[in-house]
Amino acid sequence: MSKVLLLSKVLLKNAESIWGAKKGSGWKKLLLVLALVIGIIPMILGAVVFLSAMYDGLALIGQEGALLGLGFTVASLAIFIFGILYVLSVFYYSQDVEQLLPLPLRPAHILGAKFVVALCYEYLTALVLLGPLLVTYGVKSGGGIVYYLFAVLIFLAVPIVPLVMAALLVMLFMRFTNVGKSKERFRLISGLFAICLAVGFQMFVQRQSSGGVDSLEQLQQMIASQENALLNLVTQFFPAGRLAALALQDGGTLESLGFLAAFFLVVLASLVVFLVVGNSFYFAGVMGISEAAAKRKAIGKTAFQKLVKQRSRLLSYFWKEWKILWRTPAFLLNCTLSSLLIPILALLPVLARRDSGELLARLQASLQGEHAGAVSLAIAFAAILLLGALNSTSVTAISRDGQGFFYNKTLPILPQHLLLAKVMPGIILSMVGMLVLLAEAVWLLSLSGKFIFWAALCGIPGVIFINLIGIMVDLHLPKLVWSSEQEAVKQNFNPLFSLLFGLVTGGLVAVCVMYVEASLFATALGLFALFALLDVAIYRMLVVKGPKWLENIED
Amino acid sequence: MIELINVTKSYNGTNKAVDQLNLTVPNGEIFGFLGPNGAGKTTTIKMVTGIIRPDQGEITINGKNIATQPLEAKQQFGYVPDSPDQFLRLKGLEYINFMADMYQVPKDVRGQRILELASRFEMTSALGDPIQSYSHGMRQKIMIMGVLVHNPKVWILDEPLTGLDPKASFTLKEMMREHADSGRTVFFSTHVLEVAEKLCDRVAIINKGKILFCGTFKEMQQHFQSDHSLESLFLELTKHE
Repeated sequence: MSKVLLLSKVLLKNAESIWGAKKGSGWKKLLLVLALVIGIIPMILGAVVFLSAMYDGLALIGQEGALLGLGFTVASLAIFIFGILYVLSVFYYSQDVEQLLPLPLRPAHILGAKFVVALCYEYLTALVLLGPLLVTYGVKSGGGIVYYLFAVLIFLAVPIVPLVMAALLVMLFMRFTNVGKSKERFRLISGLFAICLAVGFQMFVQRQSSGGVDSLEQLQQMIASQENALLNLVTQFFPAGRLAALALQDGGTLESLGFLAAFFLVVLASLVVFLVVGNSFYFAGVMGISEAAAKRKAIGKTAFQKLVKQRSRLLSYFWKEWKILWRTPAFLLNCTLSSLLIPILALLPVLARRDSGELLARLQASLQGEHAGAVSLAIAFAAILLLGALNSTSVTAISRDGQGFFYNKTLPILPQHLLLAKVMPGIILSMVGMLVLLAEAVWLLSLSGKFIFWAALCGIPGVIFINLIGIMVDLHLPKLVWSSEQEAVKQNFNPLFSLLFGLVTGGLVAVCVMYVEASLFATALGLFALFALLDVAIYRMLVVKGPKWLENIED
Repeated sequence: MIELINVTKSYNGTNKAVDQLNLTVPNGEIFGFLGPNGAGKTTTIKMVTGIIRPDQGEITINGKNIATQPLEAKQQFGYVPDSPDQFLRLKGLEYINFMADMYQVPKDVRGQRILELASRFEMTSALGDPIQSYSHGMRQKIMIMGVLVHNPKVWILDEPLTGLDPKASFTLKEMMREHADSGRTVFFSTHVLEVAEKLCDRVAIINKGKILFCGTFKEMQQHFQSDHSLESLFLELTKHE
């Protein structure tokens, strides 16, 4: 046990220095915190308002306890999904793994310590998801000291079971895919396949369940009657959440103590299962993780001539970035494929509904009205912008280089060309995302060719805008110290900034267009001109100031 | 030729990593840059190559100032960093071709040069594989090849012999000699004093950011009136600091 604690301390310290390694002046850090607070406060306030309305509605029928059950279930599901990513990056793809393997440690020691690290990350997720719920419920139900004591205990223990489940899933997956020469590719393909399977399953379940939820009342009814198949299924999947809810519901009674004990028993049991399974599967899955396939065969003459092609510096650097984006699994999932996957995944909840046809028809009608033209365009524009903001390619372009970034500075390439080559992949990927989105719109909403043309026309400068903003953010706050590629893109705050920027800009555009009430043509032209001008201005700034900013990044 | 004039770099405003450094690395010489760990070797090399900026002073490479003419200066040298773990997702050949593009090596000489380098370093059969699949020594070799592909006038090598097998190590030393003998410059840092003693025309010993000695090995022995090896002189020189 002491070895586990010692190791966790070391790993956490290491992670902390990685988190805190963003070197920047005081105001940059302040700006970072401020932006995060501004971004998160409305979300939390919204959640509190929503939760208290739900509470009041459920209290009328004496079912307010169901709110806790639902909250723990949703949080468990989110923790489980995040857990898969954390376990992959902390347990497997972290660079410290190969240093820990030769030490005289049992798998259980390493596993225990890594579990603690992943759990600490999960507490952040849990805090955002459960914090507002537990406090709102406490205030509304007039909970006393016992309630809050129970709440803290349960908060600390709730993430354990879903994290164990994620870890078990990943450990089994990694164990049985640790075969063959191109295991990285094999793992990626089987991982994608698993995602498709999960999404398909979810769609199936959702289609089976009753029509969907349109209003708060319906949601309340659904929770109270427990008719929803999906909810039931998820609750069954995370039974510990139900026990926790029951324990918290009537905090202090003998019954609740019993539930609490049962809950902790489940948590403890899950930990035991985790250690037992991990003991036999972890090492077998993690050994040789950094091995790569090699043929060691001389390249043929024609292939050689094809590979030895002369390109301009700008184009050559772009190709290098492009290849690395496609070949690195963590970048492929988070940057490259996400531009295709996000517009498709966003569509699924709509298609999964039984009444999707009706819903689409309604949407179509509202989008095609005479006056709706300009507003629809603004909404389409905002959606394209948001899609660009969700893609982290440009906003991690510098961070992805890690310590190798400094080598760039020794190359005889103009800094402005380097920046351009780094922002180009993001722009291309966002454009692809935009085309997918517009194709979906044509397919489902049968929008006119004219509308699509205008949307694409203003979408292009919009996409360029958000990508330029992204690289500006990364230039000022690059995360160059990381121990796994996953960390460079996932445990990086910069994508959050670009998201925030996309949301605010998209929102502003939509509101302005609604107020101005111009025609579709005027709006399209206006948006195009405005964002093209903004693009030129930011590009000029990058060209003039960018070299200095690049130079300022020192280790 | 590399020239450093009054170069100073401090971290956190107080801790001087390099302090008023003056150094001239002439053409036609292999110049060894020696010093204990943390003496300021890598900081100096990073300033010469444009990775970090000096707080004060001027650095020129073949007369091109790295601060005011960065592109021209960078075109003069090839730099091998101390860690070869870069561009791991590229294939060996892709990486060398990328470097050739960066230095705009003409297409007609490029292929021939790559093949020559590959055969000298015995890497021909590995060119088609990702760098990630290479051993440490092979990664070191590919980094060196990537730098030499544009035939730079000035070589700047940070611990280039670490991890190389005896054959590659011999080849590199041979190539360094040829390069210097053709009237051009080799500037490299090393901890291996036996190599420095045998290979270098001139050495500089740096400690705590200051040059303690700069000259030939002979001059060093004369200076200290001793016939000891470079190793014992080095240990003597850096002991009291």
